[in-house]
Amino acid sequence: MSLTKSVSTGRSVRPRARSSRLRAYLRVDGWGLLILPLLVFLVVIFVVPLGMLIAKSFTDPTVGLDNYREIFAESLYLKILTNTFVIALSVTAVTLLLAYPYAYLMTIATPMWRTVLLLLVLVPFWTSVLVRSFALVLLLRDTGVLNTIAQDVGLISEPFPIMRSMKGVIFGMVQVALPFAVLPMYATMRNIDTRLTKAAQGLGDRPSGAFWRVFVPLSMPGVAAGLLLTFIQALGYYITPAMLGGPKNTMIGELIVQQVSTVLQFGFAAALAVLLLGTTFVLLAIAGRFMNLERMLMGRS
Amino acid sequence: MRTKAISLVSTAALVLSVAACGGGEDSDSLTVTMWGGQAQDAHVKSYFTPWGKQADVSIRQDSPTDYAKLDAQVKSGKVSWGLAEVEPNYAKSACDAGKLEKLPERVIEAAQKAEIDPAQMNDCAIPILQYTFSIAYNTDTFGDAHPTTWAEFFDTEAFPGKRGFWKYVTGGIFEAALLADGVAPEDLYPLDLDRAFKKLDTIKDDIVWYDTGDQQVQLVASGEAPLVQAWNGRITQAAKAGEPVANEYGENLISYDQIVTPKGYDNVELAQDWMVWFLENPEAQADDVVASGYGPASPQAVDLVPEDIRPDVAGGAAVNDQSAALIDYNYWAEHYDEVTKRFNTWIAQ
Repeated sequence: MSLTKSVSTGRSVRPRARSSRLRAYLRVDGWGLLILPLLVFLVVIFVVPLGMLIAKSFTDPTVGLDNYREIFAESLYLKILTNTFVIALSVTAVTLLLAYPYAYLMTIATPMWRTVLLLLVLVPFWTSVLVRSFALVLLLRDTGVLNTIAQDVGLISEPFPIMRSMKGVIFGMVQVALPFAVLPMYATMRNIDTRLTKAAQGLGDRPSGAFWRVFVPLSMPGVAAGLLLTFIQALGYYITPAMLGGPKNTMIGELIVQQVSTVLQFGFAAALAVLLLGTTFVLLAIAGRFMNLERMLMGRS
Repeated sequence: MRTKAISLVSTAALVLSVAACGGGEDSDSLTVTMWGGQAQDAHVKSYFTPWGKQADVSIRQDSPTDYAKLDAQVKSGKVSWGLAEVEPNYAKSACDAGKLEKLPERVIEAAQKAEIDPAQMNDCAIPILQYTFSIAYNTDTFGDAHPTTWAEFFDTEAFPGKRGFWKYVTGGIFEAALLADGVAPEDLYPLDLDRAFKKLDTIKDDIVWYDTGDQQVQLVASGEAPLVQAWNGRITQAAKAGEPVANEYGENLISYDQIVTPKGYDNVELAQDWMVWFLENPEAQADDVVASGYGPASPQAVDLVPEDIRPDVAGGAAVNDQSAALIDYNYWAEHYDEVTKRFNTWIAQ
């Protein structure tokens, strides 16, 4: 399949030539038509609603910047926005620390153990987030499994509160996010030629040096993919923080739902969503300055 | 040529998908939207299906009620909900804003005959069920000595443990706080919010918030929060299922849900036929009390309920006599947004 673009010839474009250039730009060969269903789907389901959302944030209930002014006028909303990014970043960091060794272990394990490790990641992945969050409530609450056992064996005398705090939120979200980090990392690591680290050692590097200087850089595309998936997903989490967090850990997703379904302020909710989207883009742009995201994601090891 | 074909195909796809969104109702069906779950099953079985059979109307269901969706339906003129169970403060605001069908004379007359409390009606809505915000307690934690008033509910020294509250301004939390602080029931409204927040500050660290009916039952039953300001029907049913929970009706706060028809619904006549039938049929309401645990809209239905469950029926004498107040949803219709904002800021601090 190819979507052919006309190549600029460098000559100045005369009005007469413009229409033919446009036609060339739009020229699609037969296979290109295959993209049509997806294109229509994305336009109808994503682009149009997104446009309406952005429009709404500036027009509902009054035309102008009132909705955005309201966000910045109330410190609570900014706090929730900050909260959202702090939680998403913490979740991403914890997930990375857990997922990287796990994925590495999968690459060096025997086939039998690799299957076991893979299943351990996949089974929760196939289970509904709602079910898992409820299960975590039973596990983590003050009268839950963990606290009861710890009290019974005498580790603690009073329940150690995990739920209704940042700890609970991060615990729950990391649990949900793990497969999204482990799987891309493993996919990348699996294709790294192990002879390269052996060669590095053969040339005199210590095993740890070979790991850090050869294996880790080669695994970066997987890490970047895992990080991005985790972070961007974490920004929009709604059920898990609502169930495991306290009111002080409210994330922006909850706030948006509240605005839409309890106080019916569509415009304000839209403004919050646009702000989240905008901030995410800015953060990604900043990240893009320090690392070549495109190459990291698309690059082959 | 190809470009043209592409634009033709995509235009066609767009038109088709937009057309598919249009709804419309058959002339002999009625769509009912309620909060969902077991309660909705009970309501439908008790007073929608029997009427549907009698009137030869097929009953369709949707859930849960979503005010955003309801507003969107009315605004777009494509109304698919014929009857929606809503909270009275929403019914009041939406009725005033012209988003709901006004009740015709025949429904109002039927309501009078059914002895519906006029305070539970408005120009667009009739009550569909009653319940109370009661003190739910864990019977293992508090054997005989449990709080019987809101003042005791707020006393964390005499009754240690977390307190569960609905994270929702119309959930009776401010009314309870003011009663606990010594405000007389008849002076509750308009609510003295400063005083209520001050009282709530005294137990803020002990509050656990819940969002759903299931959560409140889990909180009390597990002992996570052995005291919860709860919806009595949920606790009654959990107790029946063997959970260590019970209701204390001292100073209970009576609340109710209403049922309305969104403006512009095609079969509005059918919806109103049902309202008349519902009001004229205390038997069906009594069936629902047994099945759902909620109190009936009409006091006439209470006498038709088996004697052993009457003490737990909101709207019945046993519960009513101990009640402190009826939640004033006219107050809430006016102040809902502003108090919600203040409340959300307060809990996140």
